[in-house]
Amino acid sequence: MTEKIKELTYGNVLMGRLRELKGVLGNSGLRDFFPLLGLLIIVAVFAAMTDMRIIEAKSINLILSQVYVLMIASTGVFLVMTVGGLDFSQGSILGISSIVISYLSFYSIPLALAAGVFAGASIGAFNGLFHVRFKIPSFIVTICTMYLFRGLCAYMTTDAPVAAVTSITGLNLTWLKITLTAAVLLLVYIIFTFTKLGVCLKAIGAGETAARFSGVRTNLTKFLVFVSAGALTGFAAFLNVVKVGSITATAGNQLETQILIALVLGGLPISGGAKVRFSNIVIGALVYCILNNGLVMLGLDTAVQQLIKGAIFLIVVALTIDKKSLHIIK
Amino acid sequence: MGEILLQAEKVCKSFGITKAVDNVTLTFDKGEIHGLIGENGSGKSTFVSMLCGIHPIDSGRFLLNGAELHVKNQVDANNKGVSIIVQEMGTLSGLTVAENIFLGRESRFVRFGVKNTAAMNREAANLLEKYGFGQINGTAMIDNYNFEDRKLIEIVKATYFSPQIVVVDETTTALSQNGREELYKHMKRIRDEGNTVIFISHDLSEVIDFTDRISVLRDGRYIDTVSSDAVSEDDLKRLMVGREIAGKYYRTDYGRLVSSDRVLTVKEVSVPGQIREISFDLHRGEILGFGGLSECGMHEVGKAIFGASYDRKGAVTLPDGTKIESIPGAIRHSIAYASKDRDNESLVVYDTIRDNIILPSINNLAERKILKRKRLDTFAAAHAQMISVKMTGIEQFVSNLSGGNKQKVVLARWIGKDSDIIVLDSPTRGIDVKVKADIYALMGELKEKGKSIIMISEEIQELLGMCDRIIIMKNGAINGEFHRDERLNEEDLIAKMV
Repeated sequence: MTEKIKELTYGNVLMGRLRELKGVLGNSGLRDFFPLLGLLIIVAVFAAMTDMRIIEAKSINLILSQVYVLMIASTGVFLVMTVGGLDFSQGSILGISSIVISYLSFYSIPLALAAGVFAGASIGAFNGLFHVRFKIPSFIVTICTMYLFRGLCAYMTTDAPVAAVTSITGLNLTWLKITLTAAVLLLVYIIFTFTKLGVCLKAIGAGETAARFSGVRTNLTKFLVFVSAGALTGFAAFLNVVKVGSITATAGNQLETQILIALVLGGLPISGGAKVRFSNIVIGALVYCILNNGLVMLGLDTAVQQLIKGAIFLIVVALTIDKKSLHIIK
Repeated sequence: MGEILLQAEKVCKSFGITKAVDNVTLTFDKGEIHGLIGENGSGKSTFVSMLCGIHPIDSGRFLLNGAELHVKNQVDANNKGVSIIVQEMGTLSGLTVAENIFLGRESRFVRFGVKNTAAMNREAANLLEKYGFGQINGTAMIDNYNFEDRKLIEIVKATYFSPQIVVVDETTTALSQNGREELYKHMKRIRDEGNTVIFISHDLSEVIDFTDRISVLRDGRYIDTVSSDAVSEDDLKRLMVGREIAGKYYRTDYGRLVSSDRVLTVKEVSVPGQIREISFDLHRGEILGFGGLSECGMHEVGKAIFGASYDRKGAVTLPDGTKIESIPGAIRHSIAYASKDRDNESLVVYDTIRDNIILPSINNLAERKILKRKRLDTFAAAHAQMISVKMTGIEQFVSNLSGGNKQKVVLARWIGKDSDIIVLDSPTRGIDVKVKADIYALMGELKEKGKSIIMISEEIQELLGMCDRIIIMKNGAINGEFHRDERLNEEDLIAKMV
């Protein structure tokens, strides 16, 4: 039936070409390598356009300093998208967790970190509860929580930015941030690749009913995935506070779209399922940050930068989307 | 031999490295009903879908009246005189009957950019009248009609413009006797008007009765074309499978005693609106059949045993007193379930064969919670090969397999789990003779090993042939029970069903 609609609506040549290109991408078995290739191309292009400035130590440092938060938060959303969901609440989670961490940093830094993770996990639990218990599609639930907690964030920073204890910025050390990011990635990588959870997550994304009939506790698993995504962003909030020292109403603004674009650029199928790869996170976050900095270095207007990012996102989605499995986005 | 209408020349189509259609060369005459048969996965549907522009051709070509036929899509195919009535639902919800009939050809009613709906409806009413489907109202929404009427509407849609070739792809399975008669009538009319029908069906007797010639495909290759007057069902089976099939593939033993060890007790199980107060015991090494009309509730019994029903009352108990309340609980206690809805409930179709096979056994495969890739691969490959799943490898996606092979993957996963109680709902639905025979043989082996099987089936013959005991259901309750006996026949069971 859908075949028929497709035939009738996509009459024009452009779409035909796009589909041919997709066919080549999909059938060549090279699909797994395209994100990496994309990374190399984007580095090469910007290196050429900026007279190699983008691969100088200074720029690399700048890029890295933006990558940590994005990469950790993307790890959580990666899990959500693997089960076929979407999560737009990450920006507001980052804001709330950052505020919590800032308040508590005056008492104890470890306590602040734990509380930040807990705050993130709680919002994640809220998402998971509404999605699983009341069967509301996840993108709707998380758009609601996004507005809800973004509002709370704005309220708490109305009079003045929330400052953390000044000594916290002393932790803004490259080696520490790299270690923490690597530790988070390694942990999730091991769980995703070497435990049953990884297989179960992919199965839920590929076909939830069948996964349930195979013995997977689908509701519990989905709930925990949202909790983890919140907790991971809560952890990322710690690195955010360490970097900026005080939190304004715009903390974490647009993080959710940055994550979505990064993951898709990293090759994550937007409907999740069996074709996700862990490398999607790492490559995606790097591509996004390089793209972002490259556009800044070219001296483009912010509006033009957004336009370019939007266009690239759309093209990548159009090239990689698998229409057959699109109906299972939850 | 009549005049040649359509020629296929060395037509090929591959999906990945599976050759679905392999160098098929075949001719269709003007004014014939030409049967196209083969097992699941033999390439029939792929062949016709290339003809109708649903899939592009890899290599080779079609010649219509001697000129190369190149179609871009179904509408284009229609314009060039080729149309198809598909296996699944081919009408679109949310449109009227008339809009469905003229889908893609609305332009003939358009004047100065405005569609003349009244003219379209008038034309639809005329056509429906002409076809003898006067009970269908062209202006009504298609959703008001049931599956059968919608198939009749598809007949109109696919044939009103007198195409030279009409493909009928496994349409009859969805139709009742009346609907079939209508379809046959129109197939004959199309032939008598000098056009050609390509008729695909699994039902060999109807193929022999209603076609002039029959072509057989096997494993994507063309085998032979025979005249329908001169063949028997057995001849066709032999051509399809490539070897002699023993007339009987059911069990032949009678009078053997089943163990009195109970392995499962179902007591007063009810699911609101589905089943009422179902109670029975299952014994070691027993094949217990459930039969009835398709809405009698028997399919829900399988789900209830597996802990998959919502809102179930009553108890499903193992001999040691354990109660089965959830799917993970059922699997942990060695209960397996193969659903009738294979693509949604039995298999994660957009996942690999490997993941599908390991999923139920995943807790047993982990060593201290850690899964080793090699161990998973070995496990999946061993079980897939054991029941000879036809695949390119365990990394292949289940969505690319044919129906019979999908069912084999379902069985492989539960045999891998070494389940003791196996619930099979419609295990041979839509599956060809060869795989059917394999499945029956496997059930026999499992029985010998002391496994217990519950087989829920709408096919009375297979219940009679395979089961030690048959429970017949009607309106959600048990309405009769029969023990294995050579003298038992279809009428006995049907009497309890209706």
